[in-house]
Amino acid sequence: MMDERHAQVDAIRRRIGEVENDLVDAHAAGQIDRREFVRRGTVLGLSLSTLGVLAGCAQPNVAQVSPPQTKPPQPGGTIRAGIVAPAAALDPVMISDEGGLAVLGQTGQYLVWSDKYLNLRPVIAESWAHDHNGGVWTFKIRQGVHFSDGTPLTAEDVAATFNRLADPVVGSNALSNFAGVLSKGNTKATDPYTVQFTLDAPNGNFPYLVSSDNYNAVILPKDYHGGWDKTFIGTGPWKMQSFTPEQGVTYTRNAQYWGPKTVADRMQLTFYPEEQAQTLGIQGNQVDILAHYSVSGGRALITDPTIRTTQYRSSSHRQIHMRTDKEPFNDKRVRQAVGLLLDRRGMVEGLLATKSDYGNDSPFAPVFRSTDPSVPQRQQNVAQAKQLLEAAGRSSGVRAQLTTLTHFELPDLAQVVQNDVSDGGISLSISILDPGTYYGSSKFGTSPWLDSTMGITDYGHRGVPNLLLTAPLTSKGPWNAAHFKNPAYDKLVAQYVAALDLGAQRTAARKIQLLLLDETPVMFPYYYYFLTAARLNVSGEETTAMGHIDLSRAGFVA
Amino acid sequence: MTRFIAKRLGLGLITLWLLSVLVFFGSQVLPGDVARRVLGPFATQSAVNSLNHQLGTDKSVFVQYANWISGIFHGNLGTSVATRSSVSSIVFPALWHSAKLAILAFIIVVPFGIIGGVFAALKEGRFQDRLISVGGLSATTVPEFVWAVALILLFALLIPILPSTATPPPGSGFLTSVKFLILPALCLVFVLFGYIARMARAGTIEALDADYTRTAVIKGLPYSTVVRRHVLRNALLPTIAVVATQAGYLIGGLVAIELVFNYQGIGQVLYRAASQKDFPVLQSGVLIVGVVYLVATLLADLAYSLLNPRLRFESSA
Repeated sequence: MMDERHAQVDAIRRRIGEVENDLVDAHAAGQIDRREFVRRGTVLGLSLSTLGVLAGCAQPNVAQVSPPQTKPPQPGGTIRAGIVAPAAALDPVMISDEGGLAVLGQTGQYLVWSDKYLNLRPVIAESWAHDHNGGVWTFKIRQGVHFSDGTPLTAEDVAATFNRLADPVVGSNALSNFAGVLSKGNTKATDPYTVQFTLDAPNGNFPYLVSSDNYNAVILPKDYHGGWDKTFIGTGPWKMQSFTPEQGVTYTRNAQYWGPKTVADRMQLTFYPEEQAQTLGIQGNQVDILAHYSVSGGRALITDPTIRTTQYRSSSHRQIHMRTDKEPFNDKRVRQAVGLLLDRRGMVEGLLATKSDYGNDSPFAPVFRSTDPSVPQRQQNVAQAKQLLEAAGRSSGVRAQLTTLTHFELPDLAQVVQNDVSDGGISLSISILDPGTYYGSSKFGTSPWLDSTMGITDYGHRGVPNLLLTAPLTSKGPWNAAHFKNPAYDKLVAQYVAALDLGAQRTAARKIQLLLLDETPVMFPYYYYFLTAARLNVSGEETTAMGHIDLSRAGFVA
Repeated sequence: MTRFIAKRLGLGLITLWLLSVLVFFGSQVLPGDVARRVLGPFATQSAVNSLNHQLGTDKSVFVQYANWISGIFHGNLGTSVATRSSVSSIVFPALWHSAKLAILAFIIVVPFGIIGGVFAALKEGRFQDRLISVGGLSATTVPEFVWAVALILLFALLIPILPSTATPPPGSGFLTSVKFLILPALCLVFVLFGYIARMARAGTIEALDADYTRTAVIKGLPYSTVVRRHVLRNALLPTIAVVATQAGYLIGGLVAIELVFNYQGIGQVLYRAASQKDFPVLQSGVLIVGVVYLVATLLADLAYSLLNPRLRFESSA
């Protein structure tokens, strides 16, 4: 039996590449745990069954990554979920908000599903592989998949989807993800069920960019030219039955779906424009599930005995930037002092009811496996902060304006920051703007977000830190509100992005984490959890920190 | 009377034109870029430019105003930049929703307010008067969203007999729809009762003190007849004006209640349009609320003049 397993492992190791073998070695040497082995293995295109054999057992430890089990749902019925109202037109190419994403995800499907633990699961793609340096990725497309209008899905549809998203003329919302990664025309169908992506530069995390981590990457027919909200065309387990703009959508089971049929017969999504209303909606039994709620808006749900809350770690966070090119934060000792004055524990307990991880002033959230946890956590140290301010010639005090926007707990966070830094003699005046004013044109020179001396900005979840490392922090980053220009940092980020194996990623990550702690252009005080609420008679829902909600397996318990 | 109506209609048209100018150019000063609002702050500039071009929001404001007004004269209110659907398909259903809520609230509050006010006036200075006056005033001073949350907590969560939302499930019948509207309508009743009752009370007290009332009493008419024929008719004149002016508030100003009850009324539509810089919806929606308000005040003026012989004769003179 043992010999047979060894033979099986040897056969697989001969078949897979160098990077994949390094991963197997790292797991065998105890450098990474089983969960991380599975996660990285899926990114590299190894199937779960292969990973199970390589890990020394028939299947990977799936139970480890499953949510707390509730009773299994019974077939039938209508499941009702509340979501935040979509902010704009329901066009898969343009959607940029959580509400639109939740609607899109019921009928639309991605090549790959990035689950709540950041593992990649094949959906429209059956498998994927890369060339020697991660510059070319090849995806095998599932056969027997049909769009809801009956048209069979082929590699041509997949290639057209990604060429459309990467086309600057179309102006899709995915352009920020594909900038410098994938250009129009570089996605080709090499046969009816194979698609090849030739990247602008090698990228070790590319499967995430074509996964559900990228809002807009649902596969559409090759001849799609808009009007999605009339048909809700897609390949998913549900079909749209009726849609009332601004109110909600009703779905029925898609009888031609290629995968397992939905547990419930029907599903209703109700749009809520405001968090208080959705909180009262689930408490008043108007919906069975809330896809997402925040501590600031739904604190009552955390302790409600009639509600089950599911929480997942995420990389959603707030960035507190300080202009590195402008008084008083052009001296890194002043920035370090501000970082040392923050009471992160008070923030996490007071603002987020402990539903959060601590941030360590870099985009490497604890949820990312490439994060090096051995880098010391920055703690509040008022004495050290005062010493730094004195050394910077600022012992007489520092004055600055802190600008932020009306969004969830941000105004409260601004007050906490103001209070914390006052212990070190730093006086902040607070300016709170509406989101439109704060972001302005999102261009340097005409945006309080990008021009303010100090500001607080909200950032949503990403499955990998790539975008968070580049756009807000590299010298040419379009969201670089701190105006941080550091060639050493830029080089490290380039190394991180190109790295295919976890060891190389962690090496670069550690250097980046230490560099950012030293420079402190931006503070990352916490990474808050993604919270989902469900009534006790419901089970089977699956959400992700991106804001996806999969209700195909949801139903009522007996 | 015809001249009176023509004059009011003429003034109404001028008011609407001024409103269109104000709302159009006023909305232009809202901060941010239309396409940027739609695509979000993290979208690339090329995507923003492309969408602005598709929406026509890269043209001059005067061209945009001319296009909008020209569209309205041709019965086309435009297309929402946020949802890409026609403004008519957004604004008119929302207007109907608001109207349903307003009608239910009026059906409850107008008779109760008038009866309460008249009763308080008839019991002037006594306990019943103080109860109605002080109670009504207190209820009015509590913000409507506080009433909304309190009523939901009481009747949807603690004693779950009414829904916590105002939008009924698709395909619901008339009675179910009314059931879903009871709590938001009650919020409006609490807010408006004190106001209407106060006006009715003041009008009744004034009418009770009037010479014609004294004459009617002296000539031996029963007290109930005096109240019905002479007091109420005169006392209700200012109340009608108050009720009419509330129409604009009820149709366009219930943002807080609509948000708490997740009700897709015109107030919520306008609020979202303003926050999303969805100019076509905002401008046309405000214009339509303006029309509703003008029609309501015109109808109130007509009713006022029909009930008040002095005005009727002046206008026909």
